[in-house]
Formats: sequence, structure tokens, C-alpha cells
Amino acid sequence: MYHSLGNRGEPVSKPSDLVQGTLDLLLLKILALQPMNGWAISQRLKQISGEVLQVSDGSLYPALHKLEQEGWITAEWKPSENNRRAKFYSLTRLGRKHLEKETANWSRLSAAISHIVRLEEA
Amino acid sequence: MGPHHWLYTIPLRLRSLFRRGRVEQELNEELQFHLERKIEEGIAKGLSPKEARYAAMRAMDGLEQRKEEVRDMRRIHWFTDFFDDARFAIRSLRRTSGLTAFVVITLALGIGMTSATFSMVDALIFRPYPVPHPSSVVTLVSTTHDNDFDDFSYREYLDIRDKTKSYDGVIASANMEAVGFSAEPGAMPRVKGGMMVSGNYFHVLGVEPRLGRAFREDEDQVPGRNAVVVLGPDFWKHEFASDPGVLGKTIRLNGTDFTVIGVAPESFPGMGIFGHPDFYMPLAMARVFSTNPRKNFFEDRDDRELNVKARLKPATTMQQARNELAVLAKNFENEYPKVNHSRGAAVHTQFEARTMEDGNWKFGVIFLILALAVLLVACTNVAGLLLSRARSRTREIAVRLAIGAGRFRLIRLLLTESLILASLGGVAGIAIGYGVVEWFHSKESIVFMTDLPAGVPFQMDRRVLLASLALSALSALLCGLAPALQSTRVDLVNALKSADVDVPGRKRLWGRNVLVVAQVSTSLMLLTASFLMARSFQHSLLDGTGFAKDHLLMVSFDPRLAQYNTAQTQQFYKLLAERVRETPGVQSEALTQNVPLGQDGYDGVAFVPDGFQMPPDRENFNSTMDTVDEGYFETLGIPILRGRGFLASDTAEAPRVAVVNEQFAKHYWPGADAVGKHIRLDNSAGIPVEIVGVAQTIKYQDTRERPMDFVYLPLAQHPVSRMALMLRSSGDPLQLVQSVKDIVRTLDANLPMLQTRAYEDYYLNMAVKGPGIAIQLVGAMGVVGLVLAIAGLYGLVAYNVSRRTREIGIRIALGAASWDVLRLVMGKGLILVGMGTAIGLTMGFALEQLMNSMLFDAGGVDILAYIIVVPSLFLVTMLAAYVPARRASRIAPTQALRYE
Repeated sequence: MYHSLGNRGEPVSKPSDLVQGTLDLLLLKILALQPMNGWAISQRLKQISGEVLQVSDGSLYPALHKLEQEGWITAEWKPSENNRRAKFYSLTRLGRKHLEKETANWSRLSAAISHIVRLEEA
Repeated sequence: MGPHHWLYTIPLRLRSLFRRGRVEQELNEELQFHLERKIEEGIAKGLSPKEARYAAMRAMDGLEQRKEEVRDMRRIHWFTDFFDDARFAIRSLRRTSGLTAFVVITLALGIGMTSATFSMVDALIFRPYPVPHPSSVVTLVSTTHDNDFDDFSYREYLDIRDKTKSYDGVIASANMEAVGFSAEPGAMPRVKGGMMVSGNYFHVLGVEPRLGRAFREDEDQVPGRNAVVVLGPDFWKHEFASDPGVLGKTIRLNGTDFTVIGVAPESFPGMGIFGHPDFYMPLAMARVFSTNPRKNFFEDRDDRELNVKARLKPATTMQQARNELAVLAKNFENEYPKVNHSRGAAVHTQFEARTMEDGNWKFGVIFLILALAVLLVACTNVAGLLLSRARSRTREIAVRLAIGAGRFRLIRLLLTESLILASLGGVAGIAIGYGVVEWFHSKESIVFMTDLPAGVPFQMDRRVLLASLALSALSALLCGLAPALQSTRVDLVNALKSADVDVPGRKRLWGRNVLVVAQVSTSLMLLTASFLMARSFQHSLLDGTGFAKDHLLMVSFDPRLAQYNTAQTQQFYKLLAERVRETPGVQSEALTQNVPLGQDGYDGVAFVPDGFQMPPDRENFNSTMDTVDEGYFETLGIPILRGRGFLASDTAEAPRVAVVNEQFAKHYWPGADAVGKHIRLDNSAGIPVEIVGVAQTIKYQDTRERPMDFVYLPLAQHPVSRMALMLRSSGDPLQLVQSVKDIVRTLDANLPMLQTRAYEDYYLNMAVKGPGIAIQLVGAMGVVGLVLAIAGLYGLVAYNVSRRTREIGIRIALGAASWDVLRLVMGKGLILVGMGTAIGLTMGFALEQLMNSMLFDAGGVDILAYIIVVPSLFLVTMLAAYVPARRASRIAPTQALRYE
């Protein structure tokens, strides 16, 4: 079973805020570990989450471009492994700060949700 | 996110905007890379290259859509979309160039008329004074029972200036007047327009002279001491060729030497709407100029000739200023009961001053309403055309909707079209507006028959242009919104199925019908209005003026221009009259202060009829008056109904006499004979004057006026400086001009002859051509409105026919006669015309009442106008509907059924 992040198959609309915010966080974190291109990011995400999380291509690139517009990541055209040119993204200083903030938020949020979910039924 | 964040992202966004091509290319490349890696993955999993590619494409779920999403993320898409829309709109508009041209012309007409009237209303009401901070300049007036806008006297002005605390400066100016001007001492004086102003005039208004300086306070202190003058900018340009050496030059005004100390800037043509003074003189020099000869300008508190304005202090409100002035007026009343009895004072803003005084502004407003009506007709027409055009693009729109374009996006596209149309129409309309204003300027010489510098103030200046542009944008929205909204509410399935889809639900056509009704009613109203105006004017002309206009020469004089005193003036006129009477070709002569139906206003006289008990709040009554000599009634052919006119024996030493008109006699002594009665001038203790004759009431100021009271006083007993000589000639009046010139030259070579012309020409311009212009304008609007309505109706019926061609073909094939088809197609149209007529009639009626109250005092309903206009409109519109309907009835069924 996998959860797909994004809006596969539905009419054109913007992703909900919660999903979008989560996706942003994941992308930033992956890029924090290592700069990489769009394809590599989607592969890595699949890999790290053990096939649980897959980002649809339709959500990935808009999200990446949005992060670029916001100034959290920056892009550079470099040759990839097979010598084809690809757009490599990396985290900026601003992005790093944003990542820290969002990570803290996420911890708080997930802790609260876990706490409620684990409450014993009366 | 701090400011540094923005600094970082802006270059990115700008890059997205300006280097679109490059950015697009990169995006393509990026997605292409992803696709290829995906294909590789598929191949690695064991699929064939073809299958792998297929799977990858499917997984990527529509490349184009992804790209669109990415672009959305860049958040500048609204801007680039606009360019795309614009390009597309231009292309599709060019495809239907006939329709486009028609729409643009229609809009241009509507916007053009409206912008022209904007310029009128702006000039007459809204244009601020040409000084810094114009909103703080207020007008102070003296008020009585009869007059809410009276001037102040010199002494009153000084008291107001010194005793009030609400203002940062109080200024006074007299009306612009004729001044005899010579650039060199020996030259023959010419008539120019000069205005006397207080010493602080330019300083308080904040007007910096272009050259030299303005008056100093001390230059306006001692009467007659400082003969200095400031030139107006146009006068300096025309008279002195903008020579800076004019400073310090001596010029002669009314025979007195004045020194030029400065030139006003181009930005300040004057405070008045119409008149632009050639030069300004200090009030202290009033003795040189035409002030009331019977009173002492500087001393008499009832010699009211000054227009007073002031700059309100920022901290003071209008109400405070009004209260303060009211108190001051009360003080005047107490201190000077004889001259300030029941006289108040008020303060007005510019807007109030321009609109409360009865005047030209009402014309401007009426024209504006009418022009807006024309614009409305134009817009509804255009909206209708756009609707039918959008309908023909239903399929295209359906396809767009089907492939995922948002409805809002499509509406934006259609609105862009109407925006472009409105821009074109707006530009053309502004050009038309310019043309109309130019036309007004070309008629200047008709409207202003005077020696003084006056001109048509309407101009397409910045404010008017802005208003017109805003109007264009608004009309774009108006015209485009309805079609855009309606045409995107399309049933996709049906639209895609057949090319000629139109499910004529009741609701769908409702909008169209309303448009036609609106058009018909508006143009009916316009036509009725112009018809009414023309008729009313015709009536007033036919009524006649009451005196003989033909074979009259008029020549005006003002001996004060040559520095005559009262005695010299009287002597001049006496000799002039004598000598002219002896000239061959002259049947009779007359001297009068004002010619009837002229441009100058008559003076008024205050009096108390003898034996009358005056009501407690009034000191006297008022009437319009004229000063004339013995020859007047005969020369102008005004019958004396009772008693006599003036005689040579009514000299200065003889008992004081007056002649009144029939209206006056009926007013004050109804049923009795006015001859022999007395009136006292000014108040009940004033000079008694015996009424020796009753003259027939004529038209004095306006051909459309109601009969008014009138008093004549003899020149010998009531000296006046400015007079007009009127000669009745046996032949062409202009032949006498040379004789008059010779006579005047023997009397005084330095005295200019003003306004020399045949009276009939003057009358034609003043009373006929002038109002005629107004009527032409309204008529033009009405015709434009009608043309638009006809086009609209034709378009509607033709559209209906095209829509139902197949149905009509079937009907004919099934045996319908032409008459049936005609009825089918025209029926709806006629109902609409009928409704439009009914509404138009009501509106026209209401407009007539409004016009009656504002302008013509005609009263009652003019049936003839309706009898003529309504059936004509009906006929014309029926014709417009008939032509396409007839074509419909002639449709060959086979052709119709083939129609796709």
C-alpha cells in the first residue's frame, strides 16, 4: 500500500495546504542531505520511505519550482551520470532556516496527533 | 520573511517574466530528462522501448498540463496570459473586420459625444481655479431678497478684509471692462479688456508673475497715486510679441499713462470662466475706469461693483466663515441702516458659486445626460453585437472548455476582446471629442460678439481625457461582461454536437430583448428632446421681438475711454445725436445704454412706487432699466401705448420723468392708468419721477423670456457713459458707417468706435445662431441615437433569422406563406419596439418637464412633438425589422434545409 502525494487523476486544482506543506518539507530535507535533480529526488523519496511515499510527477515539478520561487532552493544545470544535462537543486541558507522551522513544527504536530490517537478508549 | 527574501525572489520572478522563452525551454528540457529516465527505468524492468515510452508518458499524466501547473507556480501567468489573449483577440477581431469596424464606430460615437460634454461640464463647473490650492479659494457675496449673488462696495470690501479672521487674505476684483488702450501716446486707442483688482490679488492667489512683479500692498492704497499695470499672458504675446523689454514701458489706458510692472504667467489666464483680461490695474486707479458715475467708488457704501474672494485658513471651516461673515453683515446693517437694510452676506465654495448662480452650467448638465444616453445606446448595441458574435463561436468556446480551460479564463479572454474594442473606440471617440470642441471654438465668433477678450472655455485637457479613458474602460466592461458570461455558460455536449446550437430558452434571449427595448426608448427620448427644443425655440422666434430689427446700424461708445467727465460725455452725445440726425440717409437716430437682446446685461433700478405701503422687510422694488434718448422709441419702432415718449424738453433742469412698459404698469397699477403716477428712486425718500408714458413690452434679454418689468429713463436726466447709437437708415445700414466715422472724428479723433455692425447681424448671432448651436447639438445626438437603434434592431432581427433559418425553411416547405414568416420573424421585434416606445414616451415626458423647469419656461406639453416623433420612429424601426424578415420569407426551403 502506498500513499501518493499529489492529485493524481483529479481535475486541475492546487494541492491542499497540509499536503503541500508536507511535500515541501520532504523535498527540502532530501535536498539538505545532497543536491540532486528532479528525477533523483523522486527515486530517493521512494527509496527512503520504503516505497510508502511516492510523489506523482504532476506534483513534484510544480512543488520544486515553487520552492525555487520562494528562494529556499536554488538550481544549476550540470551534467548528470549519463552525461545528459539536468537541473540540479540545492538548499539555500534561507531554505535551511525554513527547514529547521518546519521540522520543529512537524515534530510538534505529529507528537500531538500521536498523543490523541493513542488515547485509550473509555 | 524579511525584505532580503523579497530581494532574492524578485530577480527570479522578473526572469520568469522577461526571459520567458529561455525559461520555457529549460522547463521542457527538465521534463524531457525526467521522461527519459522513466523510460530507461521501464526498459530496465523489461518493457519494450515502445511500451516503456507509453507507460512513462501515461505516468507523467499529460506533459502540457504539468507545464501549465509549473507556470502557475511562477505566479506571473495572469500577466503573460493577457498578452496571449490580446494577440488572439486581435486576430479574431480582424477576421470579422466588418463587425469590428461597426462596433468601434458605434463606441467612438458614444464616447466622443460624452467626452465633448465632459469638457463642457468640466469648464463650466468643475475646473478648479488656475491657482495653487484652489479648493481653499471661496467667494463672498452680498445677499438681498432679489439677489443672492450681489457684489460688495469698496468700503465693505475693506471692512471685510480688515475685520475677518477666517481668511489668509481677502481679494477683490471688478468685472472685466472695456478700456481704451494705446501702446504709444499718440496712437488711436483700441478697446481691450481690463480688470481692476486689489493690491493683494496675485499674492493671495499665489500667482507668480512670469516677468517683473505683481502689485505691492502700498500701490493700492492711495486713490490715483500708483498708475501701474500687470499684463495678461496672451495680451503680452500678441501685443508685445513676448518682448521682455515691456517692463517699465509706459502705456496709455483711457488716456492716462500707466507703467507696466509685470506679466502674469501662462498658467493664469484669469479667474473667470469666459473672460480673460488683457491687463490688471489696481483698484486705487478706479477713477480712470468705468465705475458708476453717479457714485463715489471709494466712499459710497452702496456702490457695489466688487467681486470678493478669499483664501480660507486651513484651520477654519466653511461654517465658521459663514457665521463670521453673517455677523459682520449684521454689523453693517446696524451701522449703516440706509444702505445695508436687510442685506446679508454669504460664503460659497467654487462649486456652489458655479452652480447656484443660475447660468450656463445647466445646459452642460443636460447635454451630459443626453450624451450619456447616447453612450448607453451605443453600449447596448455593441453588447448585442458581441452577443451574437459570441454565439457564433459557441463551438470554439465549448472545445476550449472541454480541454480544461477555466470558465474564468475564458471570460477573461472575451473581456480582453471587448477591452481592445473599447480602446479603439475610446481613442477614436476622443478624436471625435476633440473635433466637437474644435467645432465649438470655430463658433466662438458667433457666440461672443464683443470687443472684449472672451472665448469658449471647453477644452480636452488632462482631466477630461482621463475621464473619457475611464469611461471607455467602463463601457468595455459593460459591453463585454454580459456576452462573456452568457456564452461561457454553454452546455458542452450540445455545443460540440452541432455547429448551429442554440437552445432558445426564454432566459437566453431575455438579455437581447432588454437591449433592444433600451435602445428604442433612449433614442426616442433623445429625439423628442431635440424636437421639443427646436419647437420651443421656433415659437419664441415666431413670437417676434416687439420692435423693428431691420435697417438698423449700431455703434457703441464709451467716452470714459478718452477720460471724459460726465459733463463732457453728455455734451458729446448731444452733439453726436444732432449731427447724425442731419446726415442724409438717416431716417432717425436713437441712443440707448443697451441694445435689446444683446450680450450685455441691463442695469437695474431700485424704486418705490408712490403711495405704496412697502412691506416691512423691503426697502424698495427692483426693475430692469435702460437709459435712452428722445429718438429711441421711434427708431426701434416700439409703440407708445399711453402718454408719450421722451422729448427734447426733458432736460436736466426739467421735472424728472420716466417711461415704463406695459408689464410694469400692469404689475403695479393693475386696471389703472400708469401715466401720471410717480415712483421714487432708491427708496421712499428718493427723487420722485413722473411716469409720462407706457411703452409696449418687448423682448429685452432673451427671445424666450417671460414678459418683464421695465423702466426707461431719459439720457439728459440720467447720465451714462457707455451708450449705443442706433440709426435707422433708408437703405443698407452699413452705408452709414463712414458718415458716422467722419462725425466722430470731428468731435474727437481719440474716441474709439466700438462694436460697429448692422443690428440685424448682431441679433441673428445672439438670438438665433447661438441657441441654434445648442439645438443642433441635441439634434445630432438624437440622430446618432436613432441610427444606433436602427442598427441594433436590424442586427437583432437578422440574427434571429440566421438562427432560425432551418426552422423557417421547414415551415415554408410545409406550406407557410410569406406573410406568416414575416409575422413570425417580425412579431417579436414589433413587440419590443412597442415596449421601447412606451418607455421612451414616459422618459421623454419626464425630460420635457425637466427641461421646462430648467430652461424654457414654456409650460405644458407639446403634443406635436410626440405626434411627429413617435410614428416616425415606429415606421423607421419597422423598416429595419422588415428588411431581413423579407429576406427570410424568400428563403428557398431546399437551401435552408441544407444550411449547416
